[in-house]
Amino acid sequence: MRLFRLLFYYEYLHFKAARGLLLLTGLLLAAGLYGIYYGTAEVARQRQHLAELPDLGRHQVAELQTKFPGPADAGDIGYYHQNYALHHPTAWAGLALGQRDVNPYYLKLRLLGLQGQLYASENVNPAKALSGNFDLAFVLVYLFPLLIIALGFNLLSSEREQGILPLLLAQPVSATQLVIAKLAFRLAVVLGLGALLSALGLYWARVPLDGRVGLWLALGGLYCLFWFGVVLLVTAWQRSSSFNAVALLGAWLTLVVLVPSLLSVYVAAARPVPQGLALTIQQREAIHSGWDRPKDETMRQFFAHYPQYRDTTTIRERFVWRWYYAFQYLGDQSAAPLARAYATGQAQRHALAQQLVWLSPALSAQLSFNALAGTDLPAHLAFQQSATRYHDALRALYYPFLFDKIPFTHADYARLPTHSFTSPTDTGAAWAGLGQLLLSVGAVYGLGLTMLRGRAITPR
Amino acid sequence: MSYILEAKDLRKQYPDKLALKNLNLQLSPGEVFCLLGQNGAGKSTTINLFLGFIAPTAGAAYLGGLEVARHPLEIKKLLAYIPENVLLYPHLTGLENLALLSGLAGFKYRESELRDYLTQAGLPPEAAQRRVSTYSKGMRQKVGIASAVAKRAQVLLLDEPTSGLDPKASNEFSELLRLLSGQGTAVFMATHDIFRAKEVGTRVGIMREGELVDVRPTAALNANELEQLYLTHMQ
Repeated sequence: MRLFRLLFYYEYLHFKAARGLLLLTGLLLAAGLYGIYYGTAEVARQRQHLAELPDLGRHQVAELQTKFPGPADAGDIGYYHQNYALHHPTAWAGLALGQRDVNPYYLKLRLLGLQGQLYASENVNPAKALSGNFDLAFVLVYLFPLLIIALGFNLLSSEREQGILPLLLAQPVSATQLVIAKLAFRLAVVLGLGALLSALGLYWARVPLDGRVGLWLALGGLYCLFWFGVVLLVTAWQRSSSFNAVALLGAWLTLVVLVPSLLSVYVAAARPVPQGLALTIQQREAIHSGWDRPKDETMRQFFAHYPQYRDTTTIRERFVWRWYYAFQYLGDQSAAPLARAYATGQAQRHALAQQLVWLSPALSAQLSFNALAGTDLPAHLAFQQSATRYHDALRALYYPFLFDKIPFTHADYARLPTHSFTSPTDTGAAWAGLGQLLLSVGAVYGLGLTMLRGRAITPR
Repeated sequence: MSYILEAKDLRKQYPDKLALKNLNLQLSPGEVFCLLGQNGAGKSTTINLFLGFIAPTAGAAYLGGLEVARHPLEIKKLLAYIPENVLLYPHLTGLENLALLSGLAGFKYRESELRDYLTQAGLPPEAAQRRVSTYSKGMRQKVGIASAVAKRAQVLLLDEPTSGLDPKASNEFSELLRLLSGQGTAVFMATHDIFRAKEVGTRVGIMREGELVDVRPTAALNANELEQLYLTHMQ
């Protein structure tokens, strides 16, 4: 233990003297702080928008009440009134934005066909989407390994290249002890920085202090441990510092960039999913053909789904709302198999990705952070399902007005359902990710230590 | 009789070269053995085998009765090693480097004691607190010597220790070796310097192509005779 403390202290002295490393550590601290700011600012912006929507809804109701001062046709109200399905972020979302930047966090829903509205969202700046989110999870998953590489690429090769190693190994200390002490100091620096940033992020994002905090820290810690294991593996190879640097950067490029990209391509090819646009087109074509289809045929098809309105009088007018909404509904029904295929396909893609994430601990960590923050794909799909149920509730409210020809009064606005959805954090997925990381850590350390013990460290 | 350093049929074969051919050698405490030979003769290989840096192909090296290959850490408590060019952490001071080396050897000294060791080794007192990056080769060599003394080593393994030192520094180094051997430290020194070997050695050995071809007590030879003997073996 005394030997370990001595080596640890001297690693501190070396670190203190290495200005480049101090600068890099400082830069990463600054990047982490910016990541926290970026993530929490983005979530604050989304929260502000979401908070303004109910007011906007009330304003629209006031406008409709002015436009229709007396009892109105519910068809008019259903057509003009925008209802908002809200996807509130969890407190964790600021630390791992996940897909909250590319998927809509609220939907404007009218009584029209749902599918077209479900996939209609604000355009995302493609340049911004390409660069991705600079949140704390990004800093931990993508940038921390670079610090670990900078700290570890010359773990023992530096001493060998400077000619100090023979003098050190002429003392009663083994190369393994030297390597472990060096790794331990670097690990302390990196974990300390990660813990500091996480603590600041948790405080800044006002995350409730529960078991998920431990899960977040464990995920981050294990992920860093994995990268130190990669450093150990490369160190055990006993090559030059420049070779180690190239090998480690290659590992970073492979595990952080290449494998996730290839997995994404593979998953997309293996689990083809219809595009939201295809759904919208299918639904729109069905709806547009509704204008030309005989009204009787439309209503007959509609009543097959809603037999309770079969007694409604035969439509003789050129246009009535109940016929309009009937073919809107049938448009959704026409796109229903495609919509189910879309939802199932997305879920299958996610499941396949989860099965393959062990190939890239970076992807595993990123998906786990997203699951913990409730910002992953399943969270978005759950929101879409919730929005679908909300739209069903709107139909359930409006249809009696439409088909039973009940006038829509000002008092009826208060009966309109509201929507709010907060995706729960998926701790199960995060635990699974933790297990995968644990296996990766075990594999890389097992191999590294075996190599280190199996190949005598040559001091020259 | 127990020897502090011993080689029994010590052999090192590389795929392309026989580096050391069945070396048999014994050193008693206080003895200074100087190994002479050309570059590539096997001197450094011998030292590396005693340090445990390389494994023997056959035979065994012993320090303090312990086989080097079987007790790699224990034997390092007994020895100190000074290479041709002592390289230290350049961003640390001489004091910090010495504290590290003696600390690794299991000794915890106060700063004043470390300063004393450096001064005894001939390092100017004001240099102890300076970064090693400002040191000359001779000054670094002195830190190496100080670490050997501070470690209270029973065996000194020296690989061309005076190479590149100025005559004054070489002379100081010889004085220190005599002092240490007088205190019972065995010295095994690989060198090209015939006159230094004659000056400080109690025995000299001549190595050629991995084989120890001659061993003589230095008292039986004068410097010229030793030089002649060396040249004869090198022909």
